[in-house]
Amino acid sequence: MAVIEINNFKKSFGTKQVHDGVNFTVNKGECLGLVGGSGAGKSVILRSLIGLEKADAGSILINSVDITHMSENDLVEIRKKVAYVFQNGALFDSMTVFDNLAYSLRAHTKMTYDQMDKKISDQLDEFGLLSAKKLYPSELSGGMQKRVGLARAIMMDPDVILYDEPTAGLDPYNTLKIQELILRLKAKKVTSILVTHDMPTGIAVCDRFVFLQNKVISENGTTQELLAQPNSLVNQFIKGQIV
Amino acid sequence: MPTTNTEPNKLMKYVEDPLLELGGITELVKSFLAELRTKPFYFNLLIDQIYFIGVKSLPLIIITAISSGMVLALQYGLGLEKFGGKPYVPRLVASSILREMGPVFTGLMIAARVGAGIASEIGSMVVTQQIDAMRALGTSPIKRIVIPRILATVIALPILVGICAVIGNIGGLIIGHYELGLDPSFYFRRMMETSNIKDYVAGMGKSVFFALFISIPACYYGLNVKNGTKEVGLATTKAVVAGSLLIFVGDFFLSKLFWVIEKWL
Repeated sequence: MAVIEINNFKKSFGTKQVHDGVNFTVNKGECLGLVGGSGAGKSVILRSLIGLEKADAGSILINSVDITHMSENDLVEIRKKVAYVFQNGALFDSMTVFDNLAYSLRAHTKMTYDQMDKKISDQLDEFGLLSAKKLYPSELSGGMQKRVGLARAIMMDPDVILYDEPTAGLDPYNTLKIQELILRLKAKKVTSILVTHDMPTGIAVCDRFVFLQNKVISENGTTQELLAQPNSLVNQFIKGQIV
Repeated sequence: MPTTNTEPNKLMKYVEDPLLELGGITELVKSFLAELRTKPFYFNLLIDQIYFIGVKSLPLIIITAISSGMVLALQYGLGLEKFGGKPYVPRLVASSILREMGPVFTGLMIAARVGAGIASEIGSMVVTQQIDAMRALGTSPIKRIVIPRILATVIALPILVGICAVIGNIGGLIIGHYELGLDPSFYFRRMMETSNIKDYVAGMGKSVFFALFISIPACYYGLNVKNGTKEVGLATTKAVVAGSLLIFVGDFFLSKLFWVIEKWL
């Protein structure tokens, strides 16, 4: 069953058309790798899936609900269940790590402080960040900021997670840490889309890849299928033969 | 001839850009009014902003008020001395500060300090995707960022104008006594005779409009930062310039408006 469905998605910025009829689906519990060259518009698709950008044409369905033209107020319910992990963490710099993680709990639940504290402490412990609970984002390393961003995104136990280059600019240790966290969430049957240029991570976590090229999806297949074909776009992308 | 093609485009841009900004500000006001009527209301964020905008601006306003009160008293005193008009100084100072100088100077100071602060803070949040993160986490930046800042400015500015009026008149009294040789009790009595409730209402009424002139453009320019940190500086400049200009231009029409209202009453 498709949890995410994008049909004939079109998007332009001014006179520049970025997408001209993008189509793909993501099934329940599946992790889809969305790859393509820089500037192909991968992040735009991801942002559109949570209503941060509006499609010019086409439709976006989340759990069979059309969110394409939803108002900000109507999108709140969708955003509770679809988490977005920003490339640079996008942490609130005036808040501590605890307050960053408590943000959505305070906004959408009636949890007491003790309940929140327990949930946040458990989450931080699982992410190896318990010691950072009272620190501000400026006191964290880049890798820690990304992990906090991921921890914050999943505080509401989402059904869908959208990762926007979660390992970009990270050292191998932190990249592996993020990979482990994504795999752990995948094991919980969370549906996800991973936008990345880090192909080893993509191959490690994704069940399927779609390749975005020339404003449309040029290739769509399982990880094994695409890696087995020497001329697949994904293989050419890995070898640096195409952008 | 390339210039013949580009000149009309440039001209169009000069017309188009302000209209787009006006449209954007109108949209922002519409969202502000719509979201003001719906729950939740972040009272703690409002208090934080009142503290930042009101309490933290006090030293600036006190210095501005006392300086302008002293300068006004000195100028009026020295000017009127030749005609034996020194006893009119308390009246003139009080009337000027309550109706014009207090609201305008306080407004300009707040436009510089708070308008710049709001635009740069929101602009930085846009650049670092914190505003997007708020939306992605199912909360409204209008509710969490715009509403507390606009309301806090509307609440704090009239209070600051009131404080400015008191401090400015104290400044006038000091100069009246030490430089112009006026008796303090005489000065105080004349000042109180002149200033009536209408002056306070006009001054504070104007400041409510000034608060909107400062905070709405500041929020708008901050939220519309698009191309990185360079635009944060640009947004800050635009916010201060727009706020200051609106205060000056608006002051004339508001003065006229309040005189008309007083005549009716």
